[in-house]
Amino acid sequence: MIRKEAMELILKKIKSEPIISANGFISRDLFELKEKNSNFYMIGSMGLSSSIGLGVALKNPKKRIYVFDGDGNILMNFGSLVTIGSIKPKNLIHIVFDNSRHASTGGQPTNSKFIQIEEIAQKCNYSSIFRVKNKQEIIKVLTKIKTLSGPIMILIKISHGGKIGNRIEIPPIEIKERFMKNLEEI
Amino acid sequence: MKKSFQIELFDFFFKSGIENYVGVPDSTLKHFISRALEKKKIIITTREEEAIGIASGMSMSGSNSVVFMQNAGFANSISTITSLIELYQIPVIFLIGWRGYLKNDAPEHRKIGKIQPDLLKIIELPSKVLSEKNWKKQCIWAMKKIENHQPCALVIKREFYD
Repeated sequence: MIRKEAMELILKKIKSEPIISANGFISRDLFELKEKNSNFYMIGSMGLSSSIGLGVALKNPKKRIYVFDGDGNILMNFGSLVTIGSIKPKNLIHIVFDNSRHASTGGQPTNSKFIQIEEIAQKCNYSSIFRVKNKQEIIKVLTKIKTLSGPIMILIKISHGGKIGNRIEIPPIEIKERFMKNLEEI
Repeated sequence: MKKSFQIELFDFFFKSGIENYVGVPDSTLKHFISRALEKKKIIITTREEEAIGIASGMSMSGSNSVVFMQNAGFANSISTITSLIELYQIPVIFLIGWRGYLKNDAPEHRKIGKIQPDLLKIIELPSKVLSEKNWKKQCIWAMKKIENHQPCALVIKREFYD
């Protein structure tokens, strides 16, 4: 299962809820699969999707907030797990697409294959953690989390590869403005 | 900046509607930070970039933030400031403690301290240096900036040795 296949399954369950997607191929895949105003596509500032997600979650407690993260991204900002786990926003769903690669820079290895990122999240006080590796497990977990409160981490082991998604064509200021407008409306 | 001024500074922001104080502690700003802790309006993060990310999420939700840090952390955060805050034009007020302002400050602060004003200029982040005389005027300037959806920075000099 490649990232795009996993993401497609998840997107079937997300309607108007905000998604903050990490820079690189994660944002590109999201842009290609389900472009909408409630997506905040990150272009730069690698590592910070979960931090932005935390800020959005704290100020929008009635809505579930999704973070689409990568292994390279979260390894760069592990401190974020500490801060999220200390504040424990109930509405934060942290999804990590883990291919043990820096896919966007040419597929160089990360060290995520030697460690269990979701177990570190658990030690940092995440309410629930899941590690899934196929489509059936993703569907099962997505049903299960409906009644659970966050912060929740779903780590999805994916294979490296797949067609590279198109670059995001929307100017960054517009991405922000429509995302903000969407938050106001919900 | 003396304790009483730092408390007034916090109270000014608080009364002006700044709801969140996010950052990494700095001794130059310690009274400001103590006040924020007292008011329970603070999130202390592991790194400065993380604070910038959290404040961005809050700002985009219509709740403004001061992000506080030492200038060592500011130097760490330059890429985040340019590729998140400036690229998306997210209104955040940075409050930066200026170590290395005094020539004989601790050796680890001398280099960044010396280029601190240049760093702000080069990345084109509008900024003002606060003093006990002018702080209110500069803070009003900063509030206007974020009302116009623009980020900016306020700098407090480290004027003492310990």
